Amino acid sequence: MQLYIDSTKCTGCRICEVFCSFKHESAIQPAKSRITVLTDTEPSRFIPFTCVQCARPACAEACPVDAITRDAESGLVSVNANECIGCRMCVQACPFGAMAYDRDRGVAYKCDLCDGDPECARMCPTGAIQFLREEITIARRRKEGPTRLKRAAHLIEGE
Amino acid sequence: MFPYKGYAGRYLRVNLTTGEIQVCELDATFAETWLGGNGFGTKILWDEVGRDVDPLSPDNRLIIATGPICGTLMPNSSRSEVIAKSPLTGIYGDANVGGMFGPELKFAGYDMIIFEGRAPEPVYLVVEDDRVQLREARHLWGKTVSEAQALVQQELGDDNFKFATIGPAGENLVRYASIQMTPNRSAARSGVGAVMGSKRLKCIAVRGFGKVPIASPREFYEIAVQAHKKLLQNEFYKPVSRYGTAGLVTLMNRMGRFPTKNFQMGSFPFADDISAETLHDRYFVNDVGCFNCPIHCDKVYRVRDGEFAGAATNSLEYETLGSLGAGVWNNNLASIIRANVMCDELGLDTISAGRTIAFAMELWEKGILTGSDTGGIALEWGDYNTILDLLQHVAHRQGFGNLLAEGTRRAAALIGKGAEQYAMEVKGQEIAAQDGRAQRSMGLAHVTSTRGADHLKGFPVLDETGYPSEGVRRYGTQYMPEIVDPLATRYKPMLVIDGENFGAVIDSSGNCKSGGTFVLAEIYWQEMADAIRTATGMDMTVERLKTIGERIYNLQRCYGVLHGISRKDDRLPRRFKEEPNPSGHAKGQTFDVDPLLDEYYQLRGWDVKTGIPTRAKLRELGLEDVADRLGIM
Repeated sequence: MQLYIDSTKCTGCRICEVFCSFKHESAIQPAKSRITVLTDTEPSRFIPFTCVQCARPACAEACPVDAITRDAESGLVSVNANECIGCRMCVQACPFGAMAYDRDRGVAYKCDLCDGDPECARMCPTGAIQFLREEITIARRRKEGPTRLKRAAHLIEGE
Repeated sequence: MFPYKGYAGRYLRVNLTTGEIQVCELDATFAETWLGGNGFGTKILWDEVGRDVDPLSPDNRLIIATGPICGTLMPNSSRSEVIAKSPLTGIYGDANVGGMFGPELKFAGYDMIIFEGRAPEPVYLVVEDDRVQLREARHLWGKTVSEAQALVQQELGDDNFKFATIGPAGENLVRYASIQMTPNRSAARSGVGAVMGSKRLKCIAVRGFGKVPIASPREFYEIAVQAHKKLLQNEFYKPVSRYGTAGLVTLMNRMGRFPTKNFQMGSFPFADDISAETLHDRYFVNDVGCFNCPIHCDKVYRVRDGEFAGAATNSLEYETLGSLGAGVWNNNLASIIRANVMCDELGLDTISAGRTIAFAMELWEKGILTGSDTGGIALEWGDYNTILDLLQHVAHRQGFGNLLAEGTRRAAALIGKGAEQYAMEVKGQEIAAQDGRAQRSMGLAHVTSTRGADHLKGFPVLDETGYPSEGVRRYGTQYMPEIVDPLATRYKPMLVIDGENFGAVIDSSGNCKSGGTFVLAEIYWQEMADAIRTATGMDMTVERLKTIGERIYNLQRCYGVLHGISRKDDRLPRRFKEEPNPSGHAKGQTFDVDPLLDEYYQLRGWDVKTGIPTRAKLRELGLEDVADRLGIM
């Protein structure tokens, strides 16, 4: 299962950030949300972004105490907070900015897919974020380009 | 220590004259009594800004306040409230706004900012958690909203700041100047932007990394998730999320409730040219949601070709299609998009700006204004190039624009020659795109609003197009069918009063009146009381919440009374009573609001002769000191 993000459907409402932070912090704190809606303001365009759960995670590579592991079956990359020494090497290593550091607790943190039921996908009102089987997400992506092509063809025919 | 969650528990007081910034702890009793946003601002205005204070003087306050629900899990919890004595009306003024600013202020750790004084030179305020500072803004003065924000963003080296900014109109003290908030939302009414300009405050930039804590997380979560679900299932979710408020153009036009040619007509023959469907088909780019709102009534529209190519805007509302479209007889939709962009960049209220231009156009039509008055500008209906020029002139107070910058009431007094009978305003504020001849409750709400003509105080939407299911849910079967019939007057004072009190609570909570409370009416007294109780830990009940709403509204009225407001001021322009509406369902209708006022005052517990709250009512609301100050026996 994978987070499928379709940024064309994102309205920038940040419901994902609100509910993600509440799930993990029991308070509303978008700064600590594991998912972030990136904004391009002119005109308003939005892209939700979170950890992509790399198959060869740079964060795990960089961790000196092996606190970051990848579950072979689910593909989930997770931080063991008990092992983490708070050195932030993983934060530096992640090329996407998906790993963050919690100053209050002294540990690194990232998207944990909410143990298989991600709040962001559950609450997103437009379907911009969905939690789907990998095969399905690929099938959808595959359909997007050709669908656009077909629409373009109709547009030209129409004219 | 402030005992309640949901709030940040602190606020800022910024003296712009001295540059002193105080971090103050919120008082528990103050929060219990006034709830937040609207209530906080009303009470502070009453306490700190007396009768003799000129709205544009350093002694006025500019208050930006959120509430306990703002920045939380509840849907549509994006709102903040701007309160000041209004330079347009001279009485209580406020403007409510969505977007991202209010929640960000709470994440930075503040429920409210109170500005007082006047900076010797232009400044802007930066709030980044505990780091709060005033910075020099001489280089920003004169810039449009987006130019100024881009410069500040560059200086701060972070594009995640959320802004509240004035344009040239606010700097030049245009009496209906707005404050623009990220992303392109407007705190537009009451001229709050001019108050900000008078304080030489160009911009507020906020970034917050902190949290809003919740008293009963599990319970509050359930309530919020339920509210989200109900909104998505609401019968109006699809049309409102697809078209936003623009969807009202077609509906209101059919009703004869779409003011056209400065209210000479109630329907615009070219309404299809400026309808939501046309807008969507030609110019839609994408949806935009305010903070934690699933409805995303806001949209980006872009004009791709033609004379206005490149104009791109957020939030082109029904009101603007009314004021800069039908109201001025303009059916060029691309020009309305351009006008909306200009108002947002110059920092103008689209409603008052459009209505003031419509007023001038009618005076031109009637021969009261001529080329010698306007500096040679011809004011022909529908001439959109002139409309766009006038917006520039108003914002910079150039030539004839200087007169229009005063708003219709003052402009009419300066013009004379009977111009005042074409000034479509109540208590100095221009009437938005409603018409009491086509919807009685709205006509009443226009005059009983505490900030001058306004559709959003009473916000009677149940009888707008008829909303029987909600009419029954909210009030039971005994008031049907009149309560949802736009032309019936029966039960309308009750409907308006309930809306005013509930609206005062919503505007104090940080929730949205357009979102889940009035339009997609899923959140009502019980839902709001539950949300506030579980978010804050306050012992909140429906009865207590109703008292808070009534208390806030009464104090706003009393602030008017302090400035000489009474029954004599609760009146509509002559046109509604004397000129029958020529079109739509309301064809042939006139409207006299006066007979409805007796019942309204009685239900309010106000003196029927004067429209002034009685001592007994004020005592009941814990406001006996207010009665003392006003000399009410």
